[in-house]
Amino acid sequence: MMKHRNSIVFWAGAAVFLIAVLSMTQIVRNEYPFFAGYVILQFIALAVAWSILGGYAGYVNFGTNAFFGVGVYTAVALFKATGAPLVVQIAAAAVVGMTLGFGVGLLTLRMRGIFFSIATIALAIIIETFVMNWRFVGGAAGIQIQRPPVMAPFDSYVKMLFFVQALLVVIAVSIARYIQNSRIGRGLQALRDDELAAECTGVPTLKLKLVACMISGALISAAGAPAAMYLQYADPSSAFNLSYSVSALAMALIGGTAHWIGPVLGAILLGSTQQLLAVTISSEVNVLVLGIMLVLFVVGAPKGIIGLLRPRYRLRAGGKP
Amino acid sequence: MKRRTFLGGAMAVAVLGQGSSASAQQPPIKIGMSMPQTGGLAGGGKASLLGIEIWRDDINAKGGLLGRKVELVVYDDKSSASETPAIYAKLVDVDKVDLLFAPYATVPTAPIMPFVKQRGLLLMGNFSFQVNSKVGHDMWFNNAPWGPADSWAASFLDLAQKAGGKNMALLTADQEFAQNLALTARDVAKKRNLPVVFDQVYPPNTVEFSSIIRALKAAKPDIVYVASYPPDSAGILRAVNEIGIGDDVKIFGGGMVGLQFAAVMSNLGSLLNGVVNYNTWLPEKSMYFDGTKEFFDKYTKRAVEAKVDPLGYYLAPFGYAMGQMIEAAVNSTKSLDQKGIAKYLRENEHKTIVGPIAFSADGERKETATLQAQFRGVKDKDIEQFRSSGKQVILFPEKLKTGDLISPFEAARK
Repeated sequence: MMKHRNSIVFWAGAAVFLIAVLSMTQIVRNEYPFFAGYVILQFIALAVAWSILGGYAGYVNFGTNAFFGVGVYTAVALFKATGAPLVVQIAAAAVVGMTLGFGVGLLTLRMRGIFFSIATIALAIIIETFVMNWRFVGGAAGIQIQRPPVMAPFDSYVKMLFFVQALLVVIAVSIARYIQNSRIGRGLQALRDDELAAECTGVPTLKLKLVACMISGALISAAGAPAAMYLQYADPSSAFNLSYSVSALAMALIGGTAHWIGPVLGAILLGSTQQLLAVTISSEVNVLVLGIMLVLFVVGAPKGIIGLLRPRYRLRAGGKP
Repeated sequence: MKRRTFLGGAMAVAVLGQGSSASAQQPPIKIGMSMPQTGGLAGGGKASLLGIEIWRDDINAKGGLLGRKVELVVYDDKSSASETPAIYAKLVDVDKVDLLFAPYATVPTAPIMPFVKQRGLLLMGNFSFQVNSKVGHDMWFNNAPWGPADSWAASFLDLAQKAGGKNMALLTADQEFAQNLALTARDVAKKRNLPVVFDQVYPPNTVEFSSIIRALKAAKPDIVYVASYPPDSAGILRAVNEIGIGDDVKIFGGGMVGLQFAAVMSNLGSLLNGVVNYNTWLPEKSMYFDGTKEFFDKYTKRAVEAKVDPLGYYLAPFGYAMGQMIEAAVNSTKSLDQKGIAKYLRENEHKTIVGPIAFSADGERKETATLQAQFRGVKDKDIEQFRSSGKQVILFPEKLKTGDLISPFEAARK
C-alpha cells in the first residue's frame, strides 16, 4: 500500500516536472536558461545513470566520458550518414552504449575496485583514439553540424533539446528508482557489500553486474547523444573530456548513492554551481571552489546530501560509499 | 491603487530613461566574449585578453566609442567547446552586450558559429582556423592573418621548392589544428605533384620521438613539414638534435605550435636554429606600423602583472587590432548597428597595429599575412634576445620579407 502510494507520488511528480519544463519552453523567451538548464539536466541524467553501477553495485566507473563520447559520436555518425532525426540518434546511442556496457560488464569478471576503474579510463582513451582517426566524423579536427529545422511546438532547437533532456532525466530516474526497489537493486546491494557472500547465497552476480553495466551505459550514451545537436560541433577532446567522468562521480557522491534522489540533488547542486561560477567568477577560482566543495562533502558528509537530510538513509546505505 | 502606483513608476522610469540618454551619463558599450583562462588554451587566451584590455583602456582614455565608455564582459570557457554555447547565450540574452568577440582558438569558437548566424549577430573571430567555411556566416571577421585555407602550406612549400625540394615528409599531431594543416599540406602537395614520401600521424602527448625521427630520416625527404603542439614541438626538436635529420633536408618546420611562445622558445634555445616556422608578428623592421611600438611598450609592462607571455607577439597585438577594427567601423558608421558595422568591415581596408587588414567574402583575410620565419643565431636560456630583430628572419610574405632562406637545414642549424 505504502509502495503503491509512493509510486503515485513519483509519477505525479514526474508528470508535473515535464509539464513545467514544457510550459517553460512555451513561455520563457530568453534562451539563456535553456542553454544553462540543458547542461544541468544532462548532468542529472549522467549522475543518475552513473550511480546505477557506481552507487548500487559499487563498481566505480571512471569511463563516463567513454559512454558519453560514444553517444555523441553515434549521433554524429548517424546524422551525417542518414540525416536521422533526434529520436533515432538517441535510441541508437542507447543501443551502442548498451553494447559497450556489456563489454564493460564482462570486465567485472576479472577486475574489481581500483583495477576496474583504471580499466574504464583505458577504455575511454582507446575509444577516443579510434574516433580521432575516424575521418568520416571529422577525426581529430572535429566536425560542424547543421541542425535540421525545429519541430512544433518548440520555437527554438535549444528549447526542444531542453525538453528532450528533461524526458531523458525522467527515464533515467524512473529506471534507477525501479532498480533500487526491485530484486535487481537488492542483489546489487548484496554484491556491493560482499560479492563472494552474495554469490554463495545464490545472487546471480555476473548477470546483475551485466544488467547494471548495460543499463548505466545505455543511459549515459543516450544522455550524451543530444550534445551533438546542442553544440552543433563535435570534437574528440571535448566529447571524451574526463570532466564528464569526474563530474558524474562527484555529483553522485555529493548527493549520496543510497537512493536515486541523491545523484539528482548532487547534480542540481553541483551543476548549477558550475553554471553560476562560469558566469561570475571567471578564473581558476571556479575550479578551486568545486574542489573545496568535494573535499568538504567527503569529510563532512560521507553519505552525501541525503545522508545529511534523512538519517534513515544512513542506515540503508551501509557498506562502502 | 497598487496598479496605478506601478504604472506611474513605470512612466517615471521611462521618462528618466529618455532624459538620461540625452545627457552625458550614457551607459557603457558592452563587448562580450568568453576566453580560455583555464585549461590547455589558457596561456594564449590570457595574452589575447590582455591585448584587448589594452585597447579598451586606450579607447576609454580617448573618450570611448560614440562618447560612451567601452566595457568588456568576459567569462572563462575552460578551453572547452561545451561551455561556450551557454556563455554566449548569456552574453546576448541576459547581459545584452552590444558586440561580440570570439574566444581564442577554433574549438571554443566552433559551437557559437551557428548561434550567431541564426541570430544575425556580428562576431569578431580570434585566431580560429576555417571555422566559417561550412557555416557561411556573412557577419564573421577573423583577426588572424591566416588568409585562404591552403596558403599556409603553399607558402612553406613555395620556399621549399625554391630551395630545390622535390619530395615531402609530413609529421603531424593527431589533434584538431595540426590535422587541419596536414589536410591542406597533402592537397597542395598533390596539386604540385610533390610526392609525399613519409606521412606519420602521432598521438597527442607523445614525448619520445627518436624512433619517429629515425624513420623519417630513413625516408630521405627534401622537405619536412611538421604540424605539432607545444610539448611535442619541443620533443621533436630534441630528437632531431640528437639523431640528426640528414643532409637532404632543405627546409624543416612549417606548422609547429609553441615556437611562438616565450617560455618554449627560451627553453629550447639554440635547438631552434634553422627551423622555418609560421608566426603572426615578429620584432622585425617590416612589422612596425602606426601604434605597434606603443602597444608593446604597454604590453611589456602589464604582462608581468598579468603573468602572461612576456613577449606576447603571437596573439596580443591581434586582440588589440580586433578592437581597432571595431573602433573604425563604429566611428565611421556612427552607430552600433551590427549589419552596418559588418558592411563597413567587409568593404574597407583597416589600418591596425599589425598592418592593413582586408577581408574576403568568407570573413578571412583576403591575402595571407602568416609569416614564415627562420630562427637564426639563437642562444640558450635567454628570453630577452627574442626582442631584437634578426633572431627570426621573415622569409614570407614578400611584402614583409627581411631575409632569404638558409638551406639546407643542417647548414642553417650552425
